[in-house]
Amino acid sequence: MEVRYQVIVIGAGPAGLNAAKYAANAGLKVGIIDSAPKLGGQYWRHTGNEEFDRSAHHDFDQGSLLMDAVRANPRITIHSSCTIWSASVIDGEIVLRTKDGAFITSRLILASGAYDRAIPFPGWDIPGVMTAGAAQSLLKGQGVLAGKRMVVAGTGPFLLPVAVGLSSHGGSVVGVIEANSKYSWIRGVGPLLQNPAKSFEGLGYLLTVRKEKVEMRFKQAVTAAHAGADGLLESVTVSNIDSEFKVRSSYTLQCDVAAISWGFTPDTSLAGALNLTQEVAIDGSVVVRVDEDQRTNHDHSGIEIFAAGELTGIGGSDLALLEGAIAGLAASGSTNNLKRLKSLRRRAQRFANALVRVYPIPNGWQSWLTPETVICRCEEVSYQTLCAAQEDLEVRNARSAKLMTRCGMGMCQGRVCSRNIFDLLNSDEKDRVNGSYRPIISPITLGEVAATGLL
Amino acid sequence: MITFTFNGTTLTAPAGQSVAAALISHQERITRYTRHQGSARGLFCGIGVCFDCVVVINGERSQRSCITVVQEGMVIEVQDGS
Repeated sequence: MEVRYQVIVIGAGPAGLNAAKYAANAGLKVGIIDSAPKLGGQYWRHTGNEEFDRSAHHDFDQGSLLMDAVRANPRITIHSSCTIWSASVIDGEIVLRTKDGAFITSRLILASGAYDRAIPFPGWDIPGVMTAGAAQSLLKGQGVLAGKRMVVAGTGPFLLPVAVGLSSHGGSVVGVIEANSKYSWIRGVGPLLQNPAKSFEGLGYLLTVRKEKVEMRFKQAVTAAHAGADGLLESVTVSNIDSEFKVRSSYTLQCDVAAISWGFTPDTSLAGALNLTQEVAIDGSVVVRVDEDQRTNHDHSGIEIFAAGELTGIGGSDLALLEGAIAGLAASGSTNNLKRLKSLRRRAQRFANALVRVYPIPNGWQSWLTPETVICRCEEVSYQTLCAAQEDLEVRNARSAKLMTRCGMGMCQGRVCSRNIFDLLNSDEKDRVNGSYRPIISPITLGEVAATGLL
Repeated sequence: MITFTFNGTTLTAPAGQSVAAALISHQERITRYTRHQGSARGLFCGIGVCFDCVVVINGERSQRSCITVVQEGMVIEVQDGS
């Protein structure tokens, strides 16, 4: 099967949905391809039970309106549960391959979003240790509490909505462990005050945390996890840490779930496959470079590729919506309202940059590792194996580390460990950017490849 | 409600729920044991990225429980080795 659209949008979160809406309203036939069964992306993840969904989101109505508008638009076709495993430019057209056949276009908008950044520590592979996003998606998408006694830890504004969600739906949150200081917001005070709505939102969560009697602890981190005889999480070591994240003292907290968030990693795997220019952003993550119109840089002729949302830099849903709108307009050649949208985007961008200053993640987490700590979860590569490769095999970059130790070579294709391996190896920008160039974007069986007739 | 089995035990889940959510609701937290060290693993990223929550579903290995919707009569087993 081959399907063609005037513009294809990849991803159905805030950026992708808005991009599709704006492009369709400007007259284009739009196809949305999304790997999830439901629209909304990670942010507007929902169960379909309206009352519950409202209770689990502070702004579900905004998402609900946008999703309805996209569903109702006759110029938009939605392909959900559709995972792209290859993206390439063939004869001047973009070809996206999925299990449901090939999608072809000359105008593409990438809005593939981001996933939780996870930092390794002893015991982070014990069942019960999970990303905060995992606990959040269980609650928001499935209506299920991740555990009975839960710790929410890491750094950043995401910890509070996760803790509030778990607690207000009957979960016991025994602590919110924030690695940065109570006063770190001062580092971003200007942009925070220019965005009162967002700052009040954060304050609201803080007050709810108080009301729910959840204890908020600052300058502390979960630095080890311990399993019981059944192999499941039983407790975590919580450490008082300094501003470099080095441990000063520690204590133990009993819990069956530790939901941990260290911000987000943009998913640039499609950008890598399409040879788009990428760069390292101010938070150290690899992002897709875009111009004023969200247009990416590449050397293919006759095609246009835009990128919007988290894969151009972590900035949250407000920024993603604006970038999506601008990409949708630019893809359709419309300039309607563009100036105002760009000015709003600048402000949202300043807010996002301020959050990076407020919630830094210095390299001191590396001192939490023991020789046995697993760095690559898929291939079970330990910290000592990686260190030995550096010392004995003169491994200096992520690619040779992968070839020598198999780190980053498993089923997740390095999505979880790459960022940490770059940091441990002290990789330069080129090494980090090269990490996302993978010809196969998601695992696929040889049988499925054979069925495409490509072999 | 949907009826399915996990390691031979019959369990139920609301229609439309993910396999991972259904298992966690029944206190089943171990989805697989790793290939080299035989370590227990369970749900980690929750959104289909990390492949730690893979299980065997109806005989097919490496199915991500977090993004697979549980179906009537599904035979789900813990996955041994990657």
